Amino acid sequence: MPFATARTLSLHGAVGHLVDVQTDVSPGQVGLTLVGRPDVSLNEARDRCRMAIVNSRLQWPATRRITVLLSPADLVKRGTHFDLAIAVSVLAAAGELPASSLEGGVFIGELTLDGGLRSVPGVLPMVLAAAARGVRRVFVPEPQAQEAAMVPGMEVIGMRSLAQVVAELRGEEVPEAPPVAPMSGSRLLAWRGAERREELDMADLFGLEDTRYAVEVAAAGGHHLMLSGPKGSGKTSIAERIPGILPDLTAEESLELTAIHSLAGALEPGDGLLLRPPWSAPHHDASKASLLGGGNNAVRPGELSRAHAGVLFLDEFPLFRSDVIEALRQPLESGEVTVARRDESVTLPARGMVVLACNPCPCGNYTANPRSNQCQCREPQRRDYQRKITGPVADRVDILRHVVAEDRSGRNDRFDHRDSSAEVRSRVEAARRRQELRYAGCSWRLNAHAPAPALRERWPLTPEAEERVDMATWRGELTQRGAARVLRLSWTVADLAGLDRPGLAEAEMAVALRLGAPLMVQALPRRAG
Amino acid sequence: MSAPEAERLARAALSRLLEPGTLKHLRVIDQLGAQTVCEALLAEREIDGLRTDVAERLAGIDPARELEEAARKGVRFVVPGDDEWPVVLDDLAGAEPVQERGGVPVGLWVRGPLRLDEIARSVALVGSRSATTYGTAIAREFAGEAARAGQVVVSGAAYGVDQAAHRGAIAAEGRSVAVLACGADRVYPEGHRDLIEHLAEEHAVVSETPPAGAPTRLRFLSRNRLIAALTRGTVVVEAAARSGALNTANWAGRLNRVLMGVPGPVTSAPSQGVHELIRVGAATLVTTGSEVLELLGESGEHLAEPRRGRSRPRDRLSVRQQQVLDAVPVHQEAGADSIARASGIGLMEVSTALHALLRQGMVEQGGSGWRLAAHAHT
Repeated sequence: MPFATARTLSLHGAVGHLVDVQTDVSPGQVGLTLVGRPDVSLNEARDRCRMAIVNSRLQWPATRRITVLLSPADLVKRGTHFDLAIAVSVLAAAGELPASSLEGGVFIGELTLDGGLRSVPGVLPMVLAAAARGVRRVFVPEPQAQEAAMVPGMEVIGMRSLAQVVAELRGEEVPEAPPVAPMSGSRLLAWRGAERREELDMADLFGLEDTRYAVEVAAAGGHHLMLSGPKGSGKTSIAERIPGILPDLTAEESLELTAIHSLAGALEPGDGLLLRPPWSAPHHDASKASLLGGGNNAVRPGELSRAHAGVLFLDEFPLFRSDVIEALRQPLESGEVTVARRDESVTLPARGMVVLACNPCPCGNYTANPRSNQCQCREPQRRDYQRKITGPVADRVDILRHVVAEDRSGRNDRFDHRDSSAEVRSRVEAARRRQELRYAGCSWRLNAHAPAPALRERWPLTPEAEERVDMATWRGELTQRGAARVLRLSWTVADLAGLDRPGLAEAEMAVALRLGAPLMVQALPRRAG
Repeated sequence: MSAPEAERLARAALSRLLEPGTLKHLRVIDQLGAQTVCEALLAEREIDGLRTDVAERLAGIDPARELEEAARKGVRFVVPGDDEWPVVLDDLAGAEPVQERGGVPVGLWVRGPLRLDEIARSVALVGSRSATTYGTAIAREFAGEAARAGQVVVSGAAYGVDQAAHRGAIAAEGRSVAVLACGADRVYPEGHRDLIEHLAEEHAVVSETPPAGAPTRLRFLSRNRLIAALTRGTVVVEAAARSGALNTANWAGRLNRVLMGVPGPVTSAPSQGVHELIRVGAATLVTTGSEVLELLGESGEHLAEPRRGRSRPRDRLSVRQQQVLDAVPVHQEAGADSIARASGIGLMEVSTALHALLRQGMVEQGGSGWRLAAHAHT
């Protein structure tokens, strides 16, 4: 039969489309045409496939006209992982393989000229998409079999070469082949940053009791947080300890995050599912594309998405470029990034906690306290700097904290009971469990993501608490957006305290957290004595 | 020197018998002496309102055993006449009562190595239990500064401001005393066990209530008068409108101690009581530990630096020169005559001033006149 179909996937952001690779081999002008909007790297597949088939000692239909259609034909297709599907469909159309053997399977992999298979980025999201469309059998390069096998109920066949795939499809004994090279590029430096962060503990920090509590609330409810304070006051130290107080990812989050990292090509073979919340701290020189996602070719997830379900820390926030700061507005609010292109629009999840840190002025020494103020900046400079902080992005941050360096005696305070990260994490876990129960069946998991109308309608505060929030709005202390954030924060404060409904005290605390005001000591987890 | 043994025993018995801070009783004891009161009571005589049915109870008290048991718990009983007796407490004899509490205590039960006669240089830091992180941070800071200057920090070991004051003093390696409403062998609040035990081990824990006594509402009021009386001055850090700290402040006022208040935002509920004290002129506003020290010190001691804004080059100019400088344009150069018109000063004087300003680098002279130097814009 001169015609065969193999299936593979095409990724657009985190959305995978099932693509039919249809091949017709019939008499005509000799050659191979590839149609269906392939991009440059895919066009090169023609040469790779031909040489791979020839060098695998299989029969390339060299005297016929070969037409390969990638359908749906209107979808732009990129990437090198189409090779395997093209090769097997050509072989089937040429009669080298039974066409029926391709049914029900999906083929992912790049071919080398000697017929070997190479790893490709994005295997996990592709296999997830395939599973969603009812596919139960997938051929992938061997090092990525583990990644594909994370999808439940999927039969994963990890292969080293085209010859192995053909043997498997024919039902023959699978021949030996040299092992597949892992993804190109390897770590030249053994970077130990991640390990260093794991050793950090909240118990290392002294004082800062209101900032610690703010961080605990942020972690429990997934709230965005802004830390403002002079140089050396401990902003970075406390931010770095946030991943340590976050619970392990849920199965759902873990799959989402691993898929994003797979898409970014950042998954190491043997990494398995990512189970711990990620941490990402891009430098303030970062471009919009690196932060939000983009790139020249396929859309790659940016740092914001790679910190999904974890922490994105933007230190020296006002030094980020203004277009980057502006671009953060929408993702901070919606929890997803949309990158629009001429002919496609890609949406990626980006539901991490964003922690912004800023100095109070360009030199970093300003404090409102005239005794310790050593700022050298001129007033207009300070105003310009402040404007960047207090813009619309700040309005989308739930919690504001002014971090003040503890004076020297703080270090000697033996009665400063400092909870360890493990203790804080257990409180955060308990608060998250309460949210999980409350929001069962809803499209969001955490208070920070709950829509305000839903909160007002189904989970209102007590009347006194609502009155307090209304008063703050009426006085102009809170914007409308701020009031919605106070509602969410009130719930998180109540969840941490194990209360069934936020009352006046919780609303007070939420308002203080939002406005950067001092917190009531009694409401904090007991630290004294 | 110490008080006669019989007097000490009589006072120990009365301490057990009577509610602390009951002015009526304490005044009688102050006038007649404890021994006479005891004897009179035991003889079942009616004295100025002390009911005879109390005599029964008094007869049942064994003061020697009380003292022995207290000593076993590390608690000593300090009475007037002892070397250790803080004589400042005698001021209570003349002070007007507050809510019917008052009078010189019959004695103080003390646990800890710090001697009460060594706390003449001392300051009380008090405030709400429902304090904010601002209040506790300020209390820690002020207590630390006072302690480093050799002051003993006295407070009530309660939640909020009190504990922060003790912690600040301890962290600064200074000395601190807790005055409790319950017996000195007990701990209240329970959450501050570690803090109070530490104070008892290395500093002092003081109470008017005999050992094992419970912290009742009334005893907190009686206790507050001791905090005010023991110290030279009281700093109220944060106190809501009806806080117990205001009771201490009230006592400080009656006893002619220095009363100080730390302000907060006017919108903050926990600062309302302090603001009221400052507003009516009862308390002096303090914003730094050194201001507290200045108010506590002998005259001329611990003088705080007067506050000044940062000086600017303009400050050094004469009024005339400033007037001229104001008339010099920022960008476009102007002639001396136009500047003279704008400033309303004679041309001669203007050009003298302009040259003086030129020497100081405040103005520049160009081809067609004068303008401000680049760095003099602000």
